[in-house]
Amino acid sequence: MDAVETMNKARSAPADTGKTPLIDIRNLRVTFPSGGAAPKTVLKGIDLAVKSGEIVGLVGESGAGKTTLARSILGVPPGPGRIAGGEVHFEGRQILSLSEAEFRRLRGRRLSVVVPNPRAELNPLLRTGDQIASMAKIHLGVNGKEARRLALQMLRDVQIPDPERRMDAYPHELSGGMAQRVVIAMALICNPAFVISDDATSGLDVTVQAQILALLTKLVAEQGSAMLFITRDVGITAHFCDRIAVLFSGEIVELAPREALFLEPAHPYTLMLLASFSHSPRLRDSWSVPDTSRRRELAAGCQYADRCPIAQPVCRERRPPFAENGPGHFARCHFPVRHG
Amino acid sequence: MSTVLTIDNLYKHFPIAGSKQVVQAINGVSLTIEPGETLGLVGESGSGKTTVGRCIVGLIEPSAGTIHFRDADLALRQRHKRELAGKIQLVFQEPNESLDPRRKIGDTISEPLLPLRLDRETRRRRTADALRLVRLQPDLLDAYPSELSSGQQQRVGIARAMVTEPELVVLDEPTSALDPTARAEIIDLLRRIQSERHTAYLFISHDLSTVRFISHRVAVMYLGMIVEQGSAETVFNRPQHPYSSGLLSSVMLPHPHLKIESSVSLKGEIPSPINLPKGCFLASRCPFVIDRCRHEMPPAETVGERHTVHCFRHKDVAASVPASDTFNVFMKEAERILGRTVPSGVKPSLHQPTT
Repeated sequence: MDAVETMNKARSAPADTGKTPLIDIRNLRVTFPSGGAAPKTVLKGIDLAVKSGEIVGLVGESGAGKTTLARSILGVPPGPGRIAGGEVHFEGRQILSLSEAEFRRLRGRRLSVVVPNPRAELNPLLRTGDQIASMAKIHLGVNGKEARRLALQMLRDVQIPDPERRMDAYPHELSGGMAQRVVIAMALICNPAFVISDDATSGLDVTVQAQILALLTKLVAEQGSAMLFITRDVGITAHFCDRIAVLFSGEIVELAPREALFLEPAHPYTLMLLASFSHSPRLRDSWSVPDTSRRRELAAGCQYADRCPIAQPVCRERRPPFAENGPGHFARCHFPVRHG
Repeated sequence: MSTVLTIDNLYKHFPIAGSKQVVQAINGVSLTIEPGETLGLVGESGSGKTTVGRCIVGLIEPSAGTIHFRDADLALRQRHKRELAGKIQLVFQEPNESLDPRRKIGDTISEPLLPLRLDRETRRRRTADALRLVRLQPDLLDAYPSELSSGQQQRVGIARAMVTEPELVVLDEPTSALDPTARAEIIDLLRRIQSERHTAYLFISHDLSTVRFISHRVAVMYLGMIVEQGSAETVFNRPQHPYSSGLLSSVMLPHPHLKIESSVSLKGEIPSPINLPKGCFLASRCPFVIDRCRHEMPPAETVGERHTVHCFRHKDVAASVPASDTFNVFMKEAERILGRTVPSGVKPSLHQPTT
């Protein structure tokens, strides 16, 4: 049985729908200062809810705001960024209003993140086992011996070859795939309810990537947690996520169940993205306009209007609503594409 | 016209400082590239793809084996300096890191012309032509790299390679750092340049989907060996080496129902290139393994026209799943889904490409 099949098997346990969402992001806005001018809004009101057992994909190109969203959910927007508004509800609390001390108890324990570039994340001077065990010691309050036992079990769960020996390895002795597994082990050892994977598989080779994805799916299913899976690779989300949100210029422009997003995409930006993966020049010509001019931020109207082949005057004047086009299928577009 | 590039039994071993051991990066690579042809070189990191490219452009000296550009032996690069000048060019992966941030775009593009001893006017004209070739506006000649998007920066990288009118361009992961839309534009651009100028490409990439659509032929590398090479269509539709098959099965196409069938699921990690196993390098990960594979390296067997495979059981591998052209099925599906759509509320006023 191959990795993707394992993935689909593990996913067959249906997400318990109808329940209140595990995490509910409401109108999240993040700004960056820009010299003397008005601050630049990089997240323009994000609404996204994820239920237990669900894997939601978040796709977008570089600069769309993916990492800013991941870090803002954890209460630590990157660099000089500032959370300018909105709420994040998690396990019954609005966590953005928590004190730093309270947030710190949540981060790593109930909410955790798997980052790309695992080697930069790991402390080069500490042995792998000690780094993983320290997560359990800090957050679960277990003693050193128990923490090491949990760490070893975690290394087994992430299917690192020869886990006993890897406990004593330093990060530089691990391959990229193994280092990524260690970072996943650290993110999951406290059995978090919500995991954010921020482009965690992009640096990996495809065969390793398939194994890591299967592993993440299995662990999420076994632990009954939920995941926000952030990636540039739209292809992964087609095989791996229950629902997919498409981020463009700090806004979710389309949100749909997996099948609907790929078989009946509604937002022109989504169509352009899919067209660029199709290797069909004809399709790309229909759905893109050449990127010759500098991109500009539109004060009002649709952010995509300047790049949209079907934009009308109204698109530059009025921000489109995030309207439902089908069951659970939303698009922020005045003229969503209809199929059939 | 004669073959542009011939590599015969190339080896490259890197010594490890303070040790008698070596990293066996390339272990007997042979390939040819014809004029106007694209050879896609695919494989995972550490498979030796980049090292092959660097040996061709002369950044690395091979340990053994020969590389010929047309009839010139590249080991004697210095002797053929004049006739080789500008004939082989390289495009790098990271467009922003491979451009000098303090140098204007025009100067970056014209630099490779300096050894060609052209007069100033010819250099200026060739630079302007190169810029036009990659579809950048003439006013960008005075811009600095930081003023450009990464897609535009990579166009500059391509213009810099094309300005000398090379016969062979080594493209080392030219699209990996780019967003999907910029990537697709660069692929189109490379195809168009090739059809206009008949340039041969060695296209190094781990992105199989891109390789499928840009390459005429493809070579699959694993631990410094080309385990299979043949026409892109044959190798992708009916791989005969278990590694090619396993690599293809890891491709995730952006379609929830399309997946490349394979009887091989690659588990575990690539063995270390310092201590290569005896016999076939894939034996420890291969579901088709037989005892012989662990003792004996399978020789290159010719299984079709310019199609070779290093596997004792290539017939069983080929027969294990029905042949299928999944990449093209996906393209047709995409055309069906994205092509039939009509925007609601407005008459379709789809953009017409300007030429």
